[in-house]
Formats: sequence, C-alpha cells, structure tokens
Amino acid sequence: MSYRSYVGLEIHIQLATRTKVFCGCRAAFGDEPNTNICPVCTGYPGALPALNEEAIRKSYVVARALNCLLSPLCEFERKNYFYPDLPKNYQISQFASPLGRDGFLDLEFRKRRKRVRIRECHLEEDAGKMIHAGDQSLLDFNRAGTPLLEIVTEPDLEIGEEAEHLLQEFRRIVRHLGVCDGNMEEGSLRCDANVSVNVDGAGLGTKVEIKNMNSFRFVRKALDYEIDRQQDILERGGTIVQETRLWNENRDVSESMRVKESSNDYRYFPEPDLPPFRTDDAFLASVEASLVELPAERTARFVSQYGLQAAQAQFLCEERGIADFFEAAVAAGAQPSDAAVWLMGDVQKLLNRTGATLTESPLTPERLAKLLVLLGSGRIHGKLAKQTLEAVFTDDKDPDHIIAERGWEQITDPGAIGKIVDAVLAEQHEAVAQIRGGDDRPHGYLVGQVMRATSGRADPRLVQQVLGERLSLQFIQVLSFGGAISGTRRDDGVVVPGSLESLTRSLRDDPALPAGIRYDELDLGGFLSEEVTPRDWALLIRAIARHVAVGDTSGIVIATGTDTLSYTAALLSWLFGASLPIVLTASATTGDTAESRDNLRHAVQAAMNRTPGVTVVFGSRRYPAVNLKFERVTGESAETAFRTWNPGGVPEPGVGLWTNLQGATGSREPSQPGADLPDVEMLTERLEGAARRIFVAKVFPGMPAGALIALIDAGIRYFVLELYDTGTASVRETPFSLRHALEYAHQHDVTFFCTSQQEADVDFSTYVTSHDLWRGGAIPMGKLTTESVYARLLAILLTGAAGDGSDPKAVARMMESG
Amino acid sequence: MSASKTTGWHHLLETSADDYAEALRARDAAINGFLEIDTDRRRTPGGVSPPDDAPPDGAGPLAGLPLAVKDNIAVRAFQLSCASRILANHVAPYDATVVARLVAAGMVPVGKTNLDEFGMGSATEHSIAGPTNNPWDTDRVAGGSSGGSAAAVASGMVPLALGTDTGGSVRQPAAFCGIYGLKPTYGTLSRYGLVAYASSLEVAGLLSRELGMVRAAYEAASGVDSMDQTSVGLPDAQARPAAAVQRVAFLGGELGLDERTAQAYRRMREVAVGAGLTVEEVELATADAMMPAYYTIAAAEASANLARFNGVRYGERPIFAENPEALVRHARTEGFGAEVKLRVLLGTYVLRSGFQEQYYQRAQRVRTAIRRELASVFANHDLLILPVYPTVAFRHGETDLTAFQQKLADRFTTLANLTALPALSVPAGVYDGLPVGIQAMGPAFSEERLMRFAELVAAELPPERPPAYGVPLCDEIGSGGGA
Amino acid sequence: MDRSEIDLTAELALLEITDDERDRLEREITELLEHFSAMNEVDIAGLEPTTHALQEGNRLRQDVLRPDASIADEILEQAPDLEDRFIAIPNVL
Repeated sequence: MSYRSYVGLEIHIQLATRTKVFCGCRAAFGDEPNTNICPVCTGYPGALPALNEEAIRKSYVVARALNCLLSPLCEFERKNYFYPDLPKNYQISQFASPLGRDGFLDLEFRKRRKRVRIRECHLEEDAGKMIHAGDQSLLDFNRAGTPLLEIVTEPDLEIGEEAEHLLQEFRRIVRHLGVCDGNMEEGSLRCDANVSVNVDGAGLGTKVEIKNMNSFRFVRKALDYEIDRQQDILERGGTIVQETRLWNENRDVSESMRVKESSNDYRYFPEPDLPPFRTDDAFLASVEASLVELPAERTARFVSQYGLQAAQAQFLCEERGIADFFEAAVAAGAQPSDAAVWLMGDVQKLLNRTGATLTESPLTPERLAKLLVLLGSGRIHGKLAKQTLEAVFTDDKDPDHIIAERGWEQITDPGAIGKIVDAVLAEQHEAVAQIRGGDDRPHGYLVGQVMRATSGRADPRLVQQVLGERLSLQFIQVLSFGGAISGTRRDDGVVVPGSLESLTRSLRDDPALPAGIRYDELDLGGFLSEEVTPRDWALLIRAIARHVAVGDTSGIVIATGTDTLSYTAALLSWLFGASLPIVLTASATTGDTAESRDNLRHAVQAAMNRTPGVTVVFGSRRYPAVNLKFERVTGESAETAFRTWNPGGVPEPGVGLWTNLQGATGSREPSQPGADLPDVEMLTERLEGAARRIFVAKVFPGMPAGALIALIDAGIRYFVLELYDTGTASVRETPFSLRHALEYAHQHDVTFFCTSQQEADVDFSTYVTSHDLWRGGAIPMGKLTTESVYARLLAILLTGAAGDGSDPKAVARMMESG
Repeated sequence: MSASKTTGWHHLLETSADDYAEALRARDAAINGFLEIDTDRRRTPGGVSPPDDAPPDGAGPLAGLPLAVKDNIAVRAFQLSCASRILANHVAPYDATVVARLVAAGMVPVGKTNLDEFGMGSATEHSIAGPTNNPWDTDRVAGGSSGGSAAAVASGMVPLALGTDTGGSVRQPAAFCGIYGLKPTYGTLSRYGLVAYASSLEVAGLLSRELGMVRAAYEAASGVDSMDQTSVGLPDAQARPAAAVQRVAFLGGELGLDERTAQAYRRMREVAVGAGLTVEEVELATADAMMPAYYTIAAAEASANLARFNGVRYGERPIFAENPEALVRHARTEGFGAEVKLRVLLGTYVLRSGFQEQYYQRAQRVRTAIRRELASVFANHDLLILPVYPTVAFRHGETDLTAFQQKLADRFTTLANLTALPALSVPAGVYDGLPVGIQAMGPAFSEERLMRFAELVAAELPPERPPAYGVPLCDEIGSGGGA
Repeated sequence: MDRSEIDLTAELALLEITDDERDRLEREITELLEHFSAMNEVDIAGLEPTTHALQEGNRLRQDVLRPDASIADEILEQAPDLEDRFIAIPNVL
C-alpha cells in the first residue's frame, strides 16, 4: 500500500516593531520580567487597545511577499479563552477576514519545485509567559501584546525535511523584509503543524495537530515521527484519533495533549474597541515600498549576474545584510567571485572569532573592495591580504593605510624584482647552469631564494615571470600519477607501473611544442590507475595545492590512468575549480607508445593556453572534468573511450572547495606563500576517514536490501546510489526492495545521494516509486554521474565545506548546491 | 442661559476642603452615594497634580469645581472598585481620559460614587456597598447604574458628576433624581479609563443640575483620544447639526407609562407646542426589538470584557487555590455578584457556537435596522422626544418592579446606545413629590441642540431641589462665594 | 436554557454555579431568551451587522514608546502575589 502524507504549517512570527501591537510598551526579548508592561497589555480595568501602524504595515508586507490577496478591510475579533498568561482572557485576533489570504510560496526542495499555498495571514497579540517553579507558576507579561502574525499554509507539504526547508525559506524571507528576526530559540518564530496520512489517492486523512516544536530540527523530527506513527497505525489497520500532540524533545516522541472539550468554543466576535482598518492608496504604496528582492530571487540573480556558484549565492543571500554588503563591495570595485570567497571564508572566520556581525564590524564594503583590488592588482599577495583583513578588524583603518603603515606592500615593480632576480642568479651559478642544461629541478629553489630575499613580499607570479624571462623558460608542471601512460609492458605482455621520466624527456625535444617551455616533473608514485588510494590522492592534492598557493607554474599536467580518471578529474575539479589550468590525461597503452606521447603533448598544449579549470585530454579531444564516463575499452579508437554525460548539466568551474581548507593550519605570521598548507598526513587521514563513511551502490533486480542495512551498521553514513532512469528503484514490500533500507537509513541519519545508471536527470519526477524514495529522504543528484557525486562527497568531507561532516543535513546542502 | 448658581462651588476646595469633606460624609450618610471621599488627594502636594501639558485654566468655568466620579471610571490614586468584591481594594494607576481632561480644566475629583456592579443594573442596588437612596425619597432607588453620581448631584453634594451610560445608566438616574443627564454621541467622550461593560454601546456621561455646567464639561472633555481609537472628534461647528429646534417628534403608541410619567410626558408636549415648535408623533416599528438587541449585545460584550477579572494580576483572589484554573474559578465565583454572573452567562451563551447566529449576530443586524429607522426619523425631525423610563423612581428591592421588569423598562433608553446617538434626560417637573425626566434625542453631534431644547423646557419647568436638600453643600458651608 | 447548558456555559465563563443559583439563572435566562425572540419580528434581510456604529477613517497609533516608565512598578504593586518581579500564582502539581 502506498501512503501519502499531508502537512500544513501554522507559523507565528513576532513582528519587529519598536512597541507592542496595542500599546506603547517596548516589544523586546530578554528584559527583566514585567518591566515592559502598562495598563493596556496587562488587561487593566478601563484600558483600551490602540493599533500600532507599523504592526499593521509589516503584516501587509508579509502577506504581499507571500503573494496573498490583501484584504481591503482589516477587522479584529476577540478569541475567548481563559489562560493565566492571557491578560484579558481573550486574544485580539482575526477570524472572519484575515488581512491576507490565498497566497503562495514557491519552494525548490530536492530538485522538486512546489508551490505551497498560503491559506491566510492574520495579525494578533502574543500572550505573556508562564514558567513553573515549585508549587507556583510565575508570570511575566513583557511578551504580552507583542504583535504576532500567523501564517497558515495549506497541507501541501509531505515530509519533515520539506517542512523544515519551507520554514527556513520563510525565515530568510521575513529577515530580508526586516519584519522579524526569525529566532526560534527565543520564540520570535514559532511553528505548529497539522499532519494527516492516508492511502495515496484517497485525499486527506484525519488531522493531528503537533505543537511544541522549538527548533527547525524538532520540526523535521516531530513531523517525520508523526507521519511514521500515523502510517504505522494505518498499516496495522487502526484509525487515527483527531487530537493535539506535543513534541517531547527530550524523548524524541510526541505525546497526546489532553484538552477539555468545552475550551474549544472560542466565541469569536468583532472587537468593539478597534475600528476596522481600511487600506488606502498611500498605505498600499508604503507596503509596496517595503518589498525587497526576496532571497530566492536574489540567489538566482547572484548566480546569473555575478557568475557565483549556487552555494556561494545561497550563503550570501542567507542574510540581507551580507547580500547588501556583497553588492556594495562589487559596486566599489571588487571582483564578485573574490568578494564571495572572502566573505564566505576569511571574513566569516574573523566574524566568528570576534563575535561581531558583518554590518557592525569595522569592515565596510569599500574596505573589502579596496583589499581585493590591492590583491588583484598584485600590490599585496594572498597571505598578506589575510593579515591586512585582520588588521582592518583590529585597527579599524583602510587597507591601503594598513599596508603602507606596516610595510606590507608587495613588490610589484618588475624593475625592482628584476634586480633581485639578477642578484640571486648571480649567486646561484650552479642552479642556473643546471636549468640551462635542461634540468628544471632547481627552479623552485630559485623562486624560494628570491622570496626570501624580499621577506616574502615579492609578487610570486612576477618572480616566476621574470625568472622565466631571464632563463627563457615557461614552466608547465607535469605530474605523474600512475597509470599505463607511465608504465611499461613486460615481456609476457602484462602492463606494470613505471615512471614518466622518459616520456617527459622526449617532450622537451618535441618540435610540436614551442621552445622555451620547461617541464618540472614530479613523480607521485608508480601504480596503475585501478590501484589509486586515498593516500595517493592526498599526495596529488598537496602537490597541486602548493603550486596554486605559490603560483610558480602556469599550468599543471597530470598523467594518470583511464580506470579512475573520471574520479580523479572530478575530485580535482570540485577542489580546485578555476584556480589554474589543470589538465589530466591518460593512455590506453604504455608510455613507450605514440598514443601516450600524443596525449601528453596535447595535454601540455592545453595547459599552456592558460584557461583555468580542470579538463581532461584524451586522444584529440578535450573534456570537462565533471561527468566524464569511461565507457569503452578499445585498442584503437581513443575517440570513443570517454564521453561526457549530460553535457548540459556540467557545472562551470568556479571557486573550488579547497578554499574552505585554507588557513586550517592556522599560522598567522607573514611567511612564504604555501607555508601553511596542510600536510599529506592530515589530508590522507581526512580522505581515508571520508572514504570509510561512503559507499557506492547500484540497484539491480534482487538487490538484498539487508546488505545495505549491514553496511549502515558497519559505519557507512553516505550512499551514492545508482538508480534506474530518472530515479526509480523497487520499494515494494519485499526483502529485495529499498523500503526497509530507506527507513533504517532515516532512523540512523544516513543519506542516499541518488544518481542514475543511465544518462538521465535524476529528479524523482516521473514514477510513483520515485515519490516514495523522495518521501524516504533520498536526495536526487540531477544530472551528475556517480563518479562526480562520489568525488564531490569526498571533496566536501575533505575540506570541511560542510563542517566536520557529522551533520548530514549540512553535507546534503553542500551536495545539492553543486 | 438658565440662572446659574455655580459660583458657590468655585472656591470651596480652596478655602474649606476639610469642612467640605466632613459635610459630604454627613450628608451622604442618608444617601450612600459615595464609595470613597477625599477632597485633598488630588489637590495636596502629596496628591497627583494635573498633567503638565494641560495646565488648569484658572479662569475657566470649571476651575476649582469638585467632581464626583462614578466608581467604574479610573481616577488616579482613587479606588476603582466598580462596586464589585473582585476589585474591592483596587486602586487606579492612571486617569481616565475624561477625568484627565476635566482635571486639566480645573476640576478636582473629590470622590467615587456608587453604582450597580460594573454598571449592570437600573437601581444602584447591586453594589457591595449597599444601595444608594433617592434624595427625594430615601425609600426609593436613585436609579442606576450611575445612581451614586445622580444622587450626589441632586442632593447638592457636588455640582457635577461623571457617569457611564451603556443602556441608560446616566439618563435614568438623572430622571429619577430630577437633574440633567447627558449621554453624548458615542465616541465623543473617550472610553479610555471606563471599566468596560459593553464597549460598542457605552459612553461617559455628565450629570448636573446646571445645564451650563454640562455644556462646559462636555466641551472640556470631548474630542479624539489617542488612547481610544473608537473616539471621535466633534465636527466643525458648521458641519454639526444646527442647534436650532423647530420640528420635534414625540414617540407615540402604547408606551406603558405610569401615571406621573404620563402626566410629565403630556406636560412636555404642551411646553413644546407652547414654545412654537412643530410637534408630530412617530412610532417605531423596531421598538419591541430594542431591549432584546440591547441585552444580547451588552451581555455578549460583557462576557468578554469581564473575563480579565481573574484574581491573577490585580484584584481579590481566594486565600487558597491548588492551581491557576481553580484560582481563577474561585476568584470569579466569589468576586462577582448575582446580576453580573447572570449577564456573563447570558453573554457567553449568545456567543456560543450554535447559538451565536440566532442571538448575537441577529442582534447586530437588528441594530442596523434600528439605526436605519432612527435615521429616517431624523431626516424629518430635529429631535425625538420620548420618556426616559416608564415609571418614576421605584421603591427598593423588587417591591414595584421585578428584575425582569426593570430590564424591560430600559426600552426607551437603550435606543440611544444602539444607535450611538446623543440623548439628554431633561427634568420635566415634580409630580406628587417625585421628579420625572423626559428624554430628548437627536442626530449624531447634536448635543447643543439637545441643550437648547432643555433650556426651552427649563423656562417653563425649571429643575427643582429635593425638599430635604434645598441648600447645596457649598452654600451650607457658606464658603464666601454666595449665590 | 436547561441545566446542562447552564453548566456548560458556566464552564466556558469559568464560574461555579450553586444549585440555588442554577435554579434562579435557569428561570431568569430562559425568560430573557424567550423575550429575545422579538428580534425575529424585525426584517433583517440584506442588512449588515453593526459592529461599530459611528465609523470614521483609519485610526492608528505611531510606533513610539510611551514615556512613563514607572507605570510597570505601579502595576506590580497591585499584584496579589509577587516573586521578585514575577506575578505568582499557585500551582500544586
């Protein structure tokens, strides 16, 4: 039997007004008890309510932002019930004519777009607070009379996570509108829900109300619990009792709340103390004027207008203050992608450390722009830029002032650098002779000597350039990373690992490549592609990261094997994005063949063209690093060995996840670029830790679902699951269906990232089994291939882009934002 | 203008506040019009001074005059008991707007007057302090619910008193005591500080023997109040109904009046004709529905308005209660009198789901029908003249009228509350030892027209004083002002 | 209005009714409700309810703080029972 769940939310927000809705008392959280009270909000004899114009205006702003029909006549009613924290023992609310109705909120959740209907918005007053202490209850009426806007959705939601997602989107909206701070812990945002489950196709079931969900997480857990509870009852042939249940966050269960039948008659009647409010043109104009671009639109615009990654845009648009700051910084001259990276990375770290908020910190958009312009123009390098940023926070001065004051300005005068380079070269006869003799190895040493001579202030790229000019060299770093391309064929015909040495030597004399290019070959080990381990990746990543940080090379070529090329390419792409031209290549044959030589040559040519980003060269073709499929093994036709799946779904290379790891090692003294890189051990440890928690599985007829459960018990927390088609799999009641594995996974916070065995867009849109997967919490990965998804997951866990990886929701968010 | 003898009151508090307090207590012993008397509290340094932003105008007609205030209107530093056990010891922390404005005009509150508990009654008998007696005959009631205010004025204890009028509570006691009682247009006197009984019906009212004083007090106290969003400002003089009276309608049909009231009503008609007014008779089709509509709406609103009295934040609470609900239940059960409980229950019932449509919602529509009918009366007539009450002041207890008959008898006064229109109870002579008052009603904001009519009546039938209280206290004390 | 309705209504109004009171209330409320049937004689077809008899334009309060800070303390002085600045009520669990 297939079931469907229906969840509707009742959201309450305290409107951010200076005073209460019906009196001039301060509306604030956290003041000493009973200080913000007066005859009106304590229900004193003779006191009358007087409607606050800001409360009514902000209410209409929310209703408008939620696409509601705005009631031209706003009337209040009395809702009668006795409770000690309700001073008048009636609540002034709205019943017959809420100020807004029939609106909607568009959501995108797990590839699924949905229009959640808003039934109504109405304004009312908050009650006081009652706390229990021993044999008495204590009342504080500071909160009584705070304007409270209730937003009621239709039961258009289905699962806890989706409801949580809507609530978070709603929170962003009201924060952007500046009408509520959306703090669930302090109660300025509250949420009750109604839940019903029924056989699919049979319409709504019996409604159960859930209250006391005091955080976003509890909303998700309580709703999932309730859906499961009702479905269990139905499956056992029982009936659902209409009732109100309270979420018990300590026990992770909901409990029935006994309510007296008589207290349900609220005897609403029109509030005689408040004349109806009629909207007029001036009022409606002021409502329109308060509408701002909402976070969802703004996020989309940041991606399209500034070329940001979705995750960056989401981060910036989480807070209006940050988004405004970003746009102001861009307007002041900052490169959008730089501004995004810095705001997400170093600026955020400093804010966390200092406890300040962006808008009240000494950093202004102008200062950030100035800093990034200084960095971009080479007047300071990355390391010093970070220190300058810290100094802005401590000294509250402009960046150019700081670097001038501290003598941090980078040496960017080619003449000055030329003199230093010449001095170094004059001393380093041996190294110069070695390089001129065709051996590139001392190159890095020379760069280091120049940096040392300038206390790290020389612009490394300029040093690189000047050094290249003086020695007539352009450096392309070639890294050997296993595979047949560096292997040899034994006498018995079997391919064994080897090194690239001979191959790169041959390139030096390659007439197809311009003279003056020099190769710095780094051998990361002789192994075959299929033997790649996390440690091998750690070595590779460390080597690339150093080059990226130091800037001593104009391009990197990685020679590797075909079997795992799709994984390695995607991993490097997620990590390093568009930082440097990085070209991977491989060969179906050993290093001594023409194919190997040709592929390597093509790769070097590709690296020379200076287009940043990770690409793959195989045969005469060039591929994006993501969504590469190793499809065919043929001796001759290299052109058909690889293919890009869903080419339209391959993301543009952006800022890599690697930036999340920068500074992780924490040294803050000015030193040589690249000196604070994490070491190979740390990277290995992290990669191995990540790999131990991930499993790639493919559905097939007869798949024993119990095996997945065993994997979960063995510590697997993330599955990359290859489904059929646009995301289908068996969810029938059999041991060979995913149903139980999904339920088990849900209970253990295990996440399924779903890809397809076909070249498809996994969005769970087409089949009824997909819907069950969606309800079960599986996450559709759209057009990404299994290899790309696995690589992204590794990259996220490696770099800590989603924290320490223990929060599956954060990981899922990062996965979805790729 | 009628001959005014108000000058005797002006310097009384200045020169003889203590003597005045003593005299008040002495005279009130037989009347029981006051629940609290203090002639010093609002004029001594320890008392509360008038708001800074509205300094008293020493030269104004109200300067220095003592003011009695019905004890359901907040006067800072005075009790606010509403004659109810549940508020027996409650002290108001603020001034009602009408009080603040009269204080700003120079008046000095000297006491709180007796009433039916929360204003619910027609005889000032439902009071924790016992009934108020009529100065004309202490065996009889002073009327209600503003009986204490009416008796205090009629017995010459104060020149002016504030009352509240929800269904006739200013006009009926004024009529029983032979003085003027103005129920102004709804909203023109702020309700802020009036302990709400039926919010959509009630308004503060003024009681005095002197029409000039009613006029001056209304001018001083009326107008928009930011604390009461149902308050309304008086339109400009040109936009207000003209003060002149030409065509008046007398309510006709079977009115069920007692002999003395019928006599006064006829006399009133003669006076009108004698003054050259065009007099016609009208009947109202909605007449029988007025009292039902009134009691339905008043009780419904009261059930919510009185819900706040629960012994939690102020007021009396039981000595022992196990939990909050028991506390509230006992506080209300012990704190409210029988008539209040009756109306709260009635009001709760007419709002209950399943009954609301039949009672409350219907009453609100009947109210619309009544307003329309009145509007058509005032399309053709300047005023509607009708009795205030079908009888003169009745004897204490249910000797003359049962509780139900007393409610039925509100039929003439509730009309003005249902329609929000102004009405003035006008003394229409004394018959066999008891005064009778007749009502003049007009369109919204026609208070001045009502007073012109009253002046015209006063020329023929000037208000009299009860034989036992022929000399007002100011003259008895002989404080120098003199008549 | 019968006894059970009186009891249910009293429950909603949080009032306790003694047996004697119940008899009196039943009689008096029934008498009133019967009299209320006179409202049925009025033709109310098409009539809007009167909730506010005299309506003017919008009335709104500016979002500014009231000046008198001392009123909170005066309100607490009237509370029957205080625990620090909290108003206390009994709750024996």
